[in-house]
Amino acid sequence: MNCRECEDQLYEFLDKELTPEAEREIRQHLAECHPCGEHFDFEGVFLQFLRTRCRAQGAPPELKHRLLRELFGE
Amino acid sequence: MATSSPAPTPVDQKRASFEQEALVHLDTLYRVALRLSGNPADADDLVQETMLKAYRSWDQYQKGTNAKGWLLTILRNSFINEYRRRSRHPETVDVDTIEPFAVFGDVQDEDPQGTFFDRIVDDEVLRAIDQLPEVFRETLVLSDVEGLNYQEIAKMLDVPVGTVKSRLFRARQALQAKLYDYAVSMGYIKGNRP
Repeated sequence: MNCRECEDQLYEFLDKELTPEAEREIRQHLAECHPCGEHFDFEGVFLQFLRTRCRAQGAPPELKHRLLRELFGE
Repeated sequence: MATSSPAPTPVDQKRASFEQEALVHLDTLYRVALRLSGNPADADDLVQETMLKAYRSWDQYQKGTNAKGWLLTILRNSFINEYRRRSRHPETVDVDTIEPFAVFGDVQDEDPQGTFFDRIVDDEVLRAIDQLPEVFRETLVLSDVEGLNYQEIAKMLDVPVGTVKSRLFRARQALQAKLYDYAVSMGYIKGNRP
């Protein structure tokens, strides 16, 4: 596998959407190729960052109370 | 004779299963509603409407399957039918002119671990997401915030898996570029861009 082929599957790898076989090939390339390893780590950090930042917010408590009243009359 | 507690009524059972399987997804529904509609008042109404519809048709939902996907589909249909017309989004992030992996190319010497992302506040991230065109914003939120897989998103949006992949790629790269430009403008990172 070359760097280009590896990079083409970057997000599928990080999203755990690859077959075990394809995933193994990527891991093997990453173990041998430092620049690709760094790049995959960087994109992984970015995805983790997005998830953490955007999940900090949830439904307001008033909405939950109103819903319970509407649904179950309480 | 010992008294036993009365057997649960069908109404009690319906309520219990709705609480366990549907209400636990309230935060997910709210976050998606907010990113789709663009304002808290519409997001509130959209979530309330979704939950009331879901409770009314709870008999049609096959218990123990994918409640999150089922609820999000109801929410999305309501949004398209009733709210989309008045949703307001600046949609200024251009997903068509993105050079793949340009940000990493720029930062790999200065900050290959992407520590500059940590300095960007939550509101700035949400603002940047809100500037993505709707189909890209929706795909990114379902995947990267709510954790749905490609197949689940494809089914919900009624598009091929390949479309989900390409939308995700462009949305992520566009968002990354936007946040990187912001980080450079704030002095969080020096950057290489002109």
